[in-house]
Amino acid sequence: MIRIVRSTVIDAPTDQVWAVLRDFNGHDRWHPAVARSAIERGLSADQLGCVRRFFLRDGSELRERLLTLSDLEQTFSYCLLDTPVPLFNYVAHVRLAPVTDGDRTFWDWRCSFSTRKGEEIEMTRMVGEDIYDAGFAAVRARLAGVSGPEGGA
Amino acid sequence: MARVYISSVINGRSDRVWARVRDFNGLPSWHPGIAESRIENGEPADKIGCVRDFRLRNGDRIREKLLGLSDFDLFCTYSILESPMGVENYVATLRLTPITDGDRTFAEWTAEFDCAPEREAELVASIGNGVFQGGFDALKRQFGGESR
Repeated sequence: MIRIVRSTVIDAPTDQVWAVLRDFNGHDRWHPAVARSAIERGLSADQLGCVRRFFLRDGSELRERLLTLSDLEQTFSYCLLDTPVPLFNYVAHVRLAPVTDGDRTFWDWRCSFSTRKGEEIEMTRMVGEDIYDAGFAAVRARLAGVSGPEGGA
Repeated sequence: MARVYISSVINGRSDRVWARVRDFNGLPSWHPGIAESRIENGEPADKIGCVRDFRLRNGDRIREKLLGLSDFDLFCTYSILESPMGVENYVATLRLTPITDGDRTFAEWTAEFDCAPEREAELVASIGNGVFQGGFDALKRQFGGESR
């Protein structure tokens, strides 16, 4: 089992960061790796158990299920259902918390998964850097009012 | 039930910050509001259930019981047994989380307690702004200015 933990501080109030992250179907508007996304079966994106089917910019197709969503704790969890890359039993957790002495936001993004032998380093790099670190950078740029990698929404 | 939540960013690795705050008998070594402390009955300060008897710089005495301590999750939970503050069912947790982006530490200090309704605002302010933020400000000074 591989565990990845990434965390950062965003220079914006927690409510602003949560407004971006809360939409389980909204990652194609802020994450540079995601080209388009849709919730299956016409469910609402805050319906627990809903599945997002999305395509990365490289054309690969993935499906993820929403496992937890809390507006009180400002957390959500999800798992991968289908992916072309060897990520098995992938479960991820996102947590926001206010930094009260500065009106900023602590953002913790972590997951656990297993993979094929020999792919551990590449999968760890891909998830940690291409997904989590790139996501941090995109939201930071978006909330700073600067055009992100997508050229702004 | 009143609730206090204070959080901050300390400019040091979480293992180093934890080494500073982990000692349940160590408040005088890092918190400017605490003058002296001892553990009752000669017990180790990391024995769950031990009691610290400490004195604030203003002279108040407080006794607190260690309820939980984790070197893995980096948290310490304790309750107040005796204090002049007029609080009941007071339970507090100090928790550290690594900020992987920059070797910093996210520090959270929470408390829940019961008190007379007319004293709640004052107690929330003095515990939050005084004790908790005062502790974090001291840690921020000790670990160097925060780089954003």
